[in-house]
Amino acid sequence: MSVQAHDGGQPLLRVEGVRKHFAFTKGILFAKTLGHVKAVDDVSFDIRAGETLGLVGESGCGKTTTSRMILNLEAPTEGRILLDGEPIHALKGEALKAYRTKVQAVFQDPWSSLNPRMKVGRTIAESLIVNAWGDRARIDERVRELLVQVGLRPEQAQQYPHEFSGGQRQRVALAAALASRPRLIVLDEPVSALDVSIRAQMMNLLKDIQAKDDVAYLLVAHDLATVRHMADHTVVMYLGKIVERAPTAALFDDVRHPYTKALFSAVLVAWPGQAAEEIELRGEVPSPLDPPSGCRFHTRCPYVMAHCSQREPALREVSPDHFVACHLFE
Amino acid sequence: MKPDMRGETVLEVRDLHTHFFLRRGVVKAVDGVSFSLRRGEVLGLVGESGCGKSLTALSLMRLLPKGGAQTIKGEVLLNGENILERTPAEMREIRGRRISMVLQDPQTSLNPVFSIGDQLREAIVRRKRASHVDVMKEAVEALRRVEIAAPEQRIGQYPHQLSGGMKQRVVGAIAISGEPGVLIADEPTTALDVTIQLQYLKLLKRLQAETGMAILFITHDFGVVGRMCDRVAVMYAGRIVECGPVRQIFEAPQHPSTRALIASVPKMTGPVGRLTTIEGQPPSLMNLPVGCRFASRCPLVEQRCLDAYPAEVRVGDAHTADCWKVTPA
Ligand SMILES: Nc1ncnc2c1ncn2[C@@H]1O[C@H](COP(=O)(O)OP(=O)(O)OP(=O)(O)O)[C@@H](O)[C@H]1O
Ligand SMILES: Nc1ncnc2c1ncn2[C@@H]1O[C@H](COP(=O)(O)OP(=O)(O)OP(=O)(O)O)[C@@H](O)[C@H]1O
Ligand code: SF4
Ligand SMILES: [Mg+2]
Ligand SMILES: [Mg+2]
Repeated sequence: MSVQAHDGGQPLLRVEGVRKHFAFTKGILFAKTLGHVKAVDDVSFDIRAGETLGLVGESGCGKTTTSRMILNLEAPTEGRILLDGEPIHALKGEALKAYRTKVQAVFQDPWSSLNPRMKVGRTIAESLIVNAWGDRARIDERVRELLVQVGLRPEQAQQYPHEFSGGQRQRVALAAALASRPRLIVLDEPVSALDVSIRAQMMNLLKDIQAKDDVAYLLVAHDLATVRHMADHTVVMYLGKIVERAPTAALFDDVRHPYTKALFSAVLVAWPGQAAEEIELRGEVPSPLDPPSGCRFHTRCPYVMAHCSQREPALREVSPDHFVACHLFE
Repeated sequence: MKPDMRGETVLEVRDLHTHFFLRRGVVKAVDGVSFSLRRGEVLGLVGESGCGKSLTALSLMRLLPKGGAQTIKGEVLLNGENILERTPAEMREIRGRRISMVLQDPQTSLNPVFSIGDQLREAIVRRKRASHVDVMKEAVEALRRVEIAAPEQRIGQYPHQLSGGMKQRVVGAIAISGEPGVLIADEPTTALDVTIQLQYLKLLKRLQAETGMAILFITHDFGVVGRMCDRVAVMYAGRIVECGPVRQIFEAPQHPSTRALIASVPKMTGPVGRLTTIEGQPPSLMNLPVGCRFASRCPLVEQRCLDAYPAEVRVGDAHTADCWKVTPA
């Protein structure tokens, strides 16, 4: 698979031919391995400093697994991930600690990232305390500033996570991620739990912070309108593989891959009359345990051809910087 | 669904108040909520984060979170019977069969130490007696219905081995397995991609056509509202401030908070730039103003808005709004 070439020198983050296979087991104590889930299967992309990369795709296609590998919470089965040219999975000790402040995350469910027994002010301050960022008063000041920045009240620092609604907890998680002014923030569905107004505020806020601090985002989202507003480049995954990758504006103007077409046609718009023709995906969602041969989408593709089940399509450039993995474009 | 096709009222909520009694003060999270739901109808419940949607739903289920929450006033009539007066044992019989809920957070609704198959089977067994083989079959079928691939193999897996969207679908499968008369769905599709979301919504619609299930659908997604709901109720700081048919709410929203909310929706077409937001913040639920709760952020605010809470105004066919400035129909 070709690695995106950029004129702007070294990317901030490079994901290179990464695979992650999970053993599929049954039982807890005497686990029996039944096979492997190819959660991520040969994925490559770059993220440049100050840029937002959108990552979209069907539930279970490997977006969170990719994020977790970038966060160094999970090691790839194969391939490497580099930050500023340095392989991240080789980092140890102080270097690993430094990596964790440079790359932060806000996850799909804020419950997992907030300690229920800690006041949220303390959770937000955590990375500052660990890195001896300043004295108590300065840290308190920064925490108050962060709370206001994400649209909460400063005195809410004294509350516990259970006293917040779902959307409010997500904003606390963002404040915690922003605290140490990281270079890359992995945002795994950061806004899906938020109401449209807070979502809009959060998106504006993320953009402002990016313009000011040159932070890069990896944005995993199901809401395509969010991706459209936020991302410079967008990567579309299907069952562990990249099927399409392009600058966001180019992608939204001209969707090429049959899966991406189906995805875009399923977007629900609030105002009747705006909706495009819906492409119904035929057939069952295939299992990543036993992915289809050839093109992984062939079992559900409306354009399937005889050789689609035989040969795997390569990711090829169909127009400048717009890559598609589909035999229709060969 | 056309009004004449709608059946009798299956759920009626009257003046519901659920507050948190804390040492710091009283959090009036649900503060006078009323609405009704008919057989076969889908009512959307939307509103800013923290306005009390989930707590309204949990109050109906009598599943209040620990830590000082109490329903202090109101009635919840399920087929005419006030379930706030039922004993906990009676509620266990009612939940899952007559009224069922998909919780906002799949993490807390799935037990990490049991396989998803165990949890589905438990839900099925609680509802009816059947042989082990039949229960297994039904559990596999339930997973297949929510588009989980290779359900026979997935059924032995534990929650941490599933993706976020898969967990959410398992929770959804459990909630509808009992074919309840009333389903409360608290953001059941937020973790799903749009293709699977669409399939799940179609499944709910199909079930509804078959069984006449009524749905209270809590969501932030106006696209989902447009697709699923017959009517929408908009909540703000503990109260429903506007309620009406979907089309009217989208095309002619009356309450300023509804208008502001709809203006913030990111679009799939048109220019990409800064998004419209609602300036300011909702009032603290511990210290609510006497007047209109939206007053501090409302572009139309006048003195009377600050002085007293506006009465409910009928602004159209089955369409009401709590605002001093709307024109009565
Ligand atoms: N710890 C694990 N053990 C076994 N399988 C796993 C594990 N984590 C993830 N998987 C599997 O890897 C695949 C990809 O999961 P992942 O969470 O990356 O999906 P996703 O794209 O984030 O989906 P969603 O949009 O639903 O969150 C799924 O089939 C999932 O079951
Ligand atoms: N245990 C608690 N103690 C004190 N206040 C609480 C507690 N739980 C919730 N609240 C408050 O009650 C209010 C209503 O919460 P609820 O979860 O119903 O909001 P919601 O409308 O569902 O929001 P979201 O869209 O973010 O899920 C929130 O403002 C929250 O801060
Ligand atoms: S390669 Fe074939 S099956 Fe795959 S998306 Fe293209 S046309 Fe469809
Ligand atoms: Mg995920
Ligand atoms: Mg909620």
